Amino acid sequence: MTTLTPTPQSWLRRRRGLLAMVALLIAFPFLVSIIVDGQGLGAVIANDQGNARFLQGLAIEIFILAIYALSYDLILGVTGLLSFGHAMFFAVGAYTFGIMLKTHEMQWVAALVVVLIAAILQAFLFGVVLVRVKGIAFALVTLGLASVFWIVIQSSDLQQWAGAEIGLQGVRAPVWFLDTTNERFAFYLVTMTLMILCYVLYLRIIDSPSGKVFHAIRENEDRALMLGYNTFWFKLLVLVIASVTASLGGVLHTMHQPIVTPNIAGLGFTVTALLIILIGGVGTITGALVGAAVYRLLQFYLDRWFGAASELLIGLAYVVLVLYLPYGIVGTWRAKAAKRKEGWERLRTLLSPGERPTS
Amino acid sequence: MTTDTKQPEKVSKQRQRADWLLENRARVSVLAALAFLFIVALAGLESKDWFPTIMQGLSVGALTFLVASGLSLIFGLMDVLSLAHGEIFMLGAYVGWTVYTRFDTTVDATVPLLLVIAPFTLMPLWQRMARWLRTLGRKWHFGIWILGLGVVYAAWYVIFAAGDADAIEGEVSGAGAGVTIIVSLLFVAAAYGLYRKWRSNDGSVESVKEAMSLTSWSLLALGGGAAITAMTKFPLVIWDAEDFAKSPSNFAVQVDLGTLAPLPADSFGWPALVAFVVLLLGGSLIALALSSLQTAIGDVAPLTRKHWTGFVAMVGLAIVLHLTKASLNEWVFGLSTTWRFFLAIAVATGLGFAVGAFIEVVLIRPLYDRPIYQLMITLGVGFILIELVREVWGRPEFTMARPAAFNGTGEGCPGQGLGGFFSGCSTVEVFGGRLRVYNEGFVVLVGALVLIGVTLLLKKTRIGMVIRAGVQDPEMVEALGINVRRVFTLVFAMGSGLAALGGVLAAPSIGLSSGMGATFLLGAIVALAIGGLTSFPGAAAGALLVGLLQQIIIRFGQTGINLPFLDEPFKPSPTVVPAAAILLMVVILLVLPSGLLGRSER
Amino acid sequence: MSLLRLEEVHTFIEQFHILEGVSIDVPEGDIVALLGRNGAGKTTTLKTILGLTPARSGSVFYDGNNITGRRSFDIAAMGIGFVPEHRAIFSDLSVEENLLIAERERGDFAAKEDFIFGLFPDLKRLIRLPGTNLSGGQQQMLAVARALVPNNRLLLIDEPSEGLAPVLIEQMMEAIRRLSSESTVLLVEQNFIVASRLAQHFVIIEEGRSIMSGAMKDLVDDDETIKRYLGAGTGGAT
Ligand SMILES: Nc1ncnc2c1ncn2[C@@H]1O[C@H](COP(=O)(O)OP(=O)(O)OP(=O)(O)O)[C@@H](O)[C@H]1O
Ligand SMILES: [Mg+2]
Repeated sequence: MTTLTPTPQSWLRRRRGLLAMVALLIAFPFLVSIIVDGQGLGAVIANDQGNARFLQGLAIEIFILAIYALSYDLILGVTGLLSFGHAMFFAVGAYTFGIMLKTHEMQWVAALVVVLIAAILQAFLFGVVLVRVKGIAFALVTLGLASVFWIVIQSSDLQQWAGAEIGLQGVRAPVWFLDTTNERFAFYLVTMTLMILCYVLYLRIIDSPSGKVFHAIRENEDRALMLGYNTFWFKLLVLVIASVTASLGGVLHTMHQPIVTPNIAGLGFTVTALLIILIGGVGTITGALVGAAVYRLLQFYLDRWFGAASELLIGLAYVVLVLYLPYGIVGTWRAKAAKRKEGWERLRTLLSPGERPTS
Repeated sequence: MTTDTKQPEKVSKQRQRADWLLENRARVSVLAALAFLFIVALAGLESKDWFPTIMQGLSVGALTFLVASGLSLIFGLMDVLSLAHGEIFMLGAYVGWTVYTRFDTTVDATVPLLLVIAPFTLMPLWQRMARWLRTLGRKWHFGIWILGLGVVYAAWYVIFAAGDADAIEGEVSGAGAGVTIIVSLLFVAAAYGLYRKWRSNDGSVESVKEAMSLTSWSLLALGGGAAITAMTKFPLVIWDAEDFAKSPSNFAVQVDLGTLAPLPADSFGWPALVAFVVLLLGGSLIALALSSLQTAIGDVAPLTRKHWTGFVAMVGLAIVLHLTKASLNEWVFGLSTTWRFFLAIAVATGLGFAVGAFIEVVLIRPLYDRPIYQLMITLGVGFILIELVREVWGRPEFTMARPAAFNGTGEGCPGQGLGGFFSGCSTVEVFGGRLRVYNEGFVVLVGALVLIGVTLLLKKTRIGMVIRAGVQDPEMVEALGINVRRVFTLVFAMGSGLAALGGVLAAPSIGLSSGMGATFLLGAIVALAIGGLTSFPGAAAGALLVGLLQQIIIRFGQTGINLPFLDEPFKPSPTVVPAAAILLMVVILLVLPSGLLGRSER
Repeated sequence: MSLLRLEEVHTFIEQFHILEGVSIDVPEGDIVALLGRNGAGKTTTLKTILGLTPARSGSVFYDGNNITGRRSFDIAAMGIGFVPEHRAIFSDLSVEENLLIAERERGDFAAKEDFIFGLFPDLKRLIRLPGTNLSGGQQQMLAVARALVPNNRLLLIDEPSEGLAPVLIEQMMEAIRRLSSESTVLLVEQNFIVASRLAQHFVIIEEGRSIMSGAMKDLVDDDETIKRYLGAGTGGAT
């Protein structure tokens, strides 16, 4: 609220919780190695088998999901654009990077540049759609575009590139710090850093003047228009940011997984993003991180305990969440922390969609 | 001053007219372009090919239409795009398949379901009871909460923890221990939360309401726990989907010949009488909980003879079914497959209707002020239905034998000409092309009948009038004294019933898989978007377009398209066929955001 | 004895506090005019009575019963007819269907047919036309006619003269006068001349509060009040 530029120190102080989390995340593999595996600190660096390695893998998946869900929260939660094609943002990053490395044997930096260009291009594609349609029609068109992508990468015509229904496999890590098999701890640190960077960046974006316009678009686009903002450019900006972020998640996914299956382009994976931000709290940004962790752990343990029935339980949990915890963990937490009634009221106004989806 | 206010109105009217013209120009040109494309495409086919292609298109279109019609009515009336609709289609197929091929299992499953549902006929009784509950003291409420939790815990234990015995030692019991710990912790936490709620209950309207809602949830848990436990302990004919998966063709042949012997009833579980009572009790508690969750003030209808008759009829039916199931099974398995198929259609459609009504009342209704969450919840319901189907019927894909009336071979087959459709043959030759009587005859016929039926319903009946009015302005309809919510429920149920009907119809021609719902939902959404989201004729036109387009592309995939700049004919692979329809949707939505026949909004 | 009474009604639309204390008394058999500037909350008051935008506090009494919090269809079915602003007829339905849909019991329309066509002879000629094809004035007549189909004791009429030519305004006034012999009317009217000639009582709403009420004949002479609260024709400011 002050006009003074915040010094780095004060910024750090305000982000104490974040720093503590980073420290904990760095220490996490070592702790697991010592306590659970009964091995030394060196075991983590030496990439030994054991719980430490396995749990790092799980954590990496959470980080990737968090990056992916963050970008969806920016589109849906913050700006209120109902896109059902978000999985495509992720999958384009994953497939482009994989194909560039494997089939075209590119340098990894060059491949990243190609991914970046692809991400921006697809954001523009969605942006063009936005010019014409809004609300539910936008949801349908994005669903349609993503489905087309999903169908195309599965088709046998593209077998040699995308691997058809099986998916993309045999992509080798181009540099050591992206090598999840042999340098797990390094890759762990890389994904974690990227996630934290995205998170901090998103927080800043939302606090910035543009971020205020994003909110305004969700609340009432006509009013934002009347205030003189050309909302289209702001929406395009949101799409570009989200697309680049999600593609980054896709790139990391390609590095982490032995096979990139076409599932990550399907509607199911968009629903995953939706579920994550619902768990965490729609529009809260922080909720994407919390949601990703809860979602992945829940999925992991439910699968372990209930086997095939776990998916059914996740579906039930999703329905219960939508009905009874619409503000998610972070949203509910914040609402409780703030002065009781007032907080609820504000949140409710923030969350109630300003327009009916038909318009 | 008055002229001042008039002028802009006049201008805007002129603009509206200009807009209208502009829009219709786009519409007309799109239609012309589509017609042109179709003619060119058909002209590119050999003469013996084009008639079957059109008929196959109609067949796929009819199935898509059955999904799209409900979707469009629901979306038009209540602004809910039900993404669970495809899965209801799938559910219809699976239920239909079960009635058709495993009638014995159907009977066994019907009995407990009937018993659980029966108490719902006595709604006024539960409403009165709920009112009485509201007057109870805090201690009573607290007691109910604890009891509710306890029963759920016990039920869970009976189902999961005790069921561990026959699982592999070690691993599973370890997991079982983990679950037990977590569930116990949850139990303690919930009990503590309830205790705090109870302490803070100060008798104000808000807190009574809160206590009441907690009580209702506890009752729901109680009833649900009882019903689920009893169902797992109910003597069902156990039949394994794996058996079928091992040899689908063998299975199908047995069904056709009527030689599929009903399995002997497994006599495990509880004595029938105990199961009966527990199921009834569970159903009653669920009904009570649901009626006490409703906070409407209105008066409670009196409990009349009608209600009791309904109740007794349902319980009686359950008992009769249970007692006579051996001879009933024998009789039904002795029927021709055609009759069994019609039975399957009836049962699946009815079940789809009921499931739709349930979804609307329990899940959609509380969210009318949060439309985006409605969309999300339908997604979740679809997800659950898929998983449910996978749990109950397993993952292997099924085929379903065509009913005898459409499956004749041998003497005099294939039938000739249009009359051949009634020859009882499985195929018929018309205009030099060969068609399947079931796919291209029966399915198309049913699709057309539904189109006519629903159109008549919309145009000629009072309920249709209300629906059309509600599509435009539900608030005004309500202001006329019509209970719009009830119409919503009816339409949602009807749409779901039609989707389920589509599922049964589709099963003999395309088989069953847990992915079939998603495929047809996508097709239906495309149809809807093409036709204009809220327009019923639009949905029909869109479905037709989608079906034709897909079949034409598939046909060209076989023959190849001779493009001037390519040496070899271009052959689109079958997997990309759905993509074509979706692209058509994207293009049409971008050119005409309100679809071909939809009303342009603003 | 008043047929309808509002006591300190507060209404929220989403988070906005729209009505901040509206009290109205409508005596049976009379016409009461609800006056106020654009955006004062007149339409919201009517919708609150019908439960379309339910009151958050305060009470609405109809015929001695507290109807606050009841469902809209329930309230309407007690005998309240609603003529919304902007001629909200069902444009997909034909004129006849627009009238038939308002029936609460089969045969309502047949019983009232002569009365309705007596008031609006034009409608008889248009009976088969789809609602979209009607002119603005015809739509307005249809909207009023629709509220007359069932036996309503109370009619809530929102700006019936809006956008009508002078001749049609006369016709509409005549119709309202005649139908008021059958029902009580709560009338929202921007055109003060029309309101003053029709109504026996008035209520003025200003920024969501009912600030003044009384007999219409007293208001007619009170130029000061008219200028201050009704803007004397300078409508259009929101
Ligand atoms: N859905 C809504 N959301 C937010 N504000 C609303 C909504 N509907 C109405 N309002 C506000 O409520 C106030 C009262 O509106 P209302 O329609 O009752 O006015 P009115 O007196 O009927 O005006 P007019 O004479 O122009 O019809 C206005 O300030 C309006 O902006
Ligand atoms: Mg108004």
